[in-house]
Amino acid sequence: MARRNAAHDIRDASWGRTALAAVVSLAYFFPVLWIILTAFKTHNDALAIPPTFLFRPTLENFVTVFWRSYIKGAEAVDTGFGLFFFNSVFIAGVSVLLALVIGTLAAYGFSRHPLTGNDTYLFAILTTRMLPPIVVIIPIFLMFRVTGLSGGYAGVILLYTAFNLPFAIWMMKSFFDELSPDVEDAARVDGSTGARVFAKIALPQVTAGLAATAVFGLILTWNEFLFALLLTGVNTRTVPVAMAQTIGGDIGVRWGLLAAIETLFLIPVIVVTFLLQHQLLRGVTFGTIKR
Amino acid sequence: MSTIELRSVTKRFGDLVAVDAVDLGVSAGEVVCLLGPSGCGKTTTLRMIAGLESATAGDILIAGRRVNPLPPRARNVAMVFQFYALYPTLTARENLAYPLHADRLPASEIDARVRRVSAALALDAVLDRRPAQLAEGEKQRVAVGRAIIRDPSCFLFDEPLSRLDSQLREEMRGQIKEILTGLNKATVIVTHDQLEALTMADRIAVMRDGRIEQVATPHDIFTRPANLFVAGFIGTPQMNLVPATLVGHANGQARFRIGGQESALEVDPAVAHLRPGSAVTLGIRPRSVDLLSQADGSSLAARVDLLEPMGAETLIHLLEDGHDLRVVVNHQVAVEVGSRVHVRFRPGQVHVFDATERAVRA
Amino acid sequence: MAPSSIARAEPSPTAGWLTPTVSNWRLALLLAAIVLPVSVLTLPVATAFWLSLAAVGLVAVTAIVNAWGRHPGSLLVAPALALLCVLNIFPLMWSFGLSFFHYRANRGAAPTFAGVENYARVLTDPTMWERLQTTALVVVLTVGTQMIVGFLLALLFEKEFPGRRILLMLVLTPMMLSFVAVGAFFRYYYEPTFGLLSQAIKVVTGKPFILLETSAGALAAIVIADAWMWSPFVMLLVLAGLVSVPRYLYEAAEIDRASWWRRFRTITFPYIRSLLLLALLFRTIEAFKLFDVVFLITEGGPGTSTETIAVYVYRVAFQYFRTAQSSAMAYILLFIVIVLTSLYLHLARQRTAEA
Repeated sequence: MARRNAAHDIRDASWGRTALAAVVSLAYFFPVLWIILTAFKTHNDALAIPPTFLFRPTLENFVTVFWRSYIKGAEAVDTGFGLFFFNSVFIAGVSVLLALVIGTLAAYGFSRHPLTGNDTYLFAILTTRMLPPIVVIIPIFLMFRVTGLSGGYAGVILLYTAFNLPFAIWMMKSFFDELSPDVEDAARVDGSTGARVFAKIALPQVTAGLAATAVFGLILTWNEFLFALLLTGVNTRTVPVAMAQTIGGDIGVRWGLLAAIETLFLIPVIVVTFLLQHQLLRGVTFGTIKR
Repeated sequence: MSTIELRSVTKRFGDLVAVDAVDLGVSAGEVVCLLGPSGCGKTTTLRMIAGLESATAGDILIAGRRVNPLPPRARNVAMVFQFYALYPTLTARENLAYPLHADRLPASEIDARVRRVSAALALDAVLDRRPAQLAEGEKQRVAVGRAIIRDPSCFLFDEPLSRLDSQLREEMRGQIKEILTGLNKATVIVTHDQLEALTMADRIAVMRDGRIEQVATPHDIFTRPANLFVAGFIGTPQMNLVPATLVGHANGQARFRIGGQESALEVDPAVAHLRPGSAVTLGIRPRSVDLLSQADGSSLAARVDLLEPMGAETLIHLLEDGHDLRVVVNHQVAVEVGSRVHVRFRPGQVHVFDATERAVRA
Repeated sequence: MAPSSIARAEPSPTAGWLTPTVSNWRLALLLAAIVLPVSVLTLPVATAFWLSLAAVGLVAVTAIVNAWGRHPGSLLVAPALALLCVLNIFPLMWSFGLSFFHYRANRGAAPTFAGVENYARVLTDPTMWERLQTTALVVVLTVGTQMIVGFLLALLFEKEFPGRRILLMLVLTPMMLSFVAVGAFFRYYYEPTFGLLSQAIKVVTGKPFILLETSAGALAAIVIADAWMWSPFVMLLVLAGLVSVPRYLYEAAEIDRASWWRRFRTITFPYIRSLLLLALLFRTIEAFKLFDVVFLITEGGPGTSTETIAVYVYRVAFQYFRTAQSSAMAYILLFIVIVLTSLYLHLARQRTAEA
């Protein structure tokens, strides 16, 4: 006698979990959602008491981001935000890439060819992240001024690369540690050079780690404010700096404008994270566990 | 009453039917092997008994109780996993003792049982080591020990010997059989190794594509395979399966045309019910073929194509009319490649399979 | 002892140490170790910088030459170390050197040597200890909250369920926001008149709610904002561990009828322990440096009750312009963080050795 035996309990549990997760996710996402919504509000709507959820959406904030007219009826002035966005993308992109390249090579070195004092080096690398940026800001500022790096792309990119290196190295090293050396040894016996072994065998197995490092590095660099404030010039300014400057305005905080900037600013990060999602989850999965 | 009973159990993964209406009964003290190639559904069936997979349809009964809605912990089964599943941070001793905590036994009792099991499986020397420090065979014994330390309704083994080398396998085969006989519980063993099944099982259930092809004692599976698949699956070297046509039968013998030759063979009387001219498949095991010095009435001629020395025996590959035949003879028999020989199928050892691949038998 | 050439093995331990060859990185290192502090302490910044750069470059070159073909590890590692050295070590040393001088950035006067006076003054400054206390409180609260919430989140997202991917992305969004936006908007939420929080509570109590009024409230405001942003980070790390546990271990435990707690203790926890520690490590380091969130939401207020040490350092450096003193303070903070981190790592290494 065949009886249908549906796994009711399993399915119910899944939906229960979904419900709970939905509530939690909403709690986390709500402030972000609010920012996005505010971007579409007029200034009055944004400040409304009680806060409105239903409002007539407007794109004026987004327009104002890129063009601003000082006087009603006069020509709109390009705010230069296009350039700022480009700067952010360029600076973050290049520095993350550089950190990835240099860091992965270093991590490979630390992992496969440990030096005496390996642990000390690694710890020292970690300590570079420990100091409040406030303290190093002055010497770095002076250093940049002296070497003429201040205000240009190169200096900031190098600095951000140095920021992202510790995390990149720690992360990628734990990935390389995870790989069994047998495959590489086999390749070496077959006559591959060290470089080929690295590129063709080790690297493809750690793409997940690369994704995780890239995403985290991107998030940190993208939103960095303090050093960008001091070290970028008029032409290389990044969005967070420009954002801060919009806040100080004559009519107080223009929430709509700020929200619009932040919303636009969020998009690339979300896109990158979404694209690398699979790899990211896999990456964090195989990351730092010794089996 | 059977301790494990599967009634028309089916498992579907979306459109894929992994297990198709399987019926099986296992009595207390009986060892049943689920044998088959990968993907035949044997492991899925085992997991359904354990409760690690839910059955899409059908009933699973353990000790007379329908257990379909019950989670594994409520079914009182013990299982040995293919990858042993030893808890990596616990010592062998702690691994062995693990299942007993659920019964809230006093520490002295737990200790006593651990010592008993450890002695039975020769684990005394490694009790305080962690799985990472154990040899493969030791790990396997701890996994078995963890299962037998309890008093479950039944034992489930998932490919228990697959990770051992052949020497260890031989040792463990005998040991496990001994232990199981002593414990007298219903046991289901999943394996793809026919030798394991033949030596350890009281009954074998051969599976293919989710269905049970035949359930019988090892002896019956070997001597009376129910269909072409079982016939070809059991026995090393593989049984010869030769396409032929039934010409006719008379005098208790049936005449077959094989390739370009004809031969009269002694077969099961049920063959008489087949119509002359029907296409059949003849099954004959390599060791049931005799080499003759000269032709006789029922012999067949063939050319020797390849010789494979196997130590005490030699495997001869014969070729004729595009059909090949494997024969195993004593290594002292002298044969040359390329020569023509005469072979005779031993009377009573020829299996006839009809066009539906089923064995024709009374 | 014949002079060593590039192709020969390392110079012998004693006599070879001082031989000036291109591959003698030890000598170069020694040189750099002397040049750096000396130049930082005595020469004007610009000269000191270029000299230090040259020294580091020399070390890098000799290391590379020495390593070429023989020690691939050094080769791979050198660029990273060099970059970090120049951009991190040099400024650190400069600040460190500065902390031994009297120097105020708003006065043109050249620095005068002060010995450990700055450190003495800082260590006996009661404000500093107050700030440290506040910081410690903030760190414990925010890291604690993040770890617990992050862990719970990981448990939630561990099993597959409909919509898991999308909801997971949503939970990650707080991390992606710019600090400026977070600061500004949380300030807005907490605003007594038109802020969301106040309005929500007004519906219940009828009165505007000023979260930032009390020091406890301000503290809560900061902890909430920070934990909100970073608990997903902890979640990701713990999730990694949870997901990496082999399924068959759970199945075996299920068959062995182990209780939830036993299962967690013997199977789950060992796998997530190292990741938990990593999360704890990173978040603690970051929490000690906490500046943006505090400054933007409460500005250290009300009064100075939520002023963390990082904010205080900022004030001392940029508002009171006691630059050298701020350096001293920062180094004390660095020292504390290094001690804590070493402790963590030591514990972690010990635990893994046991396992």
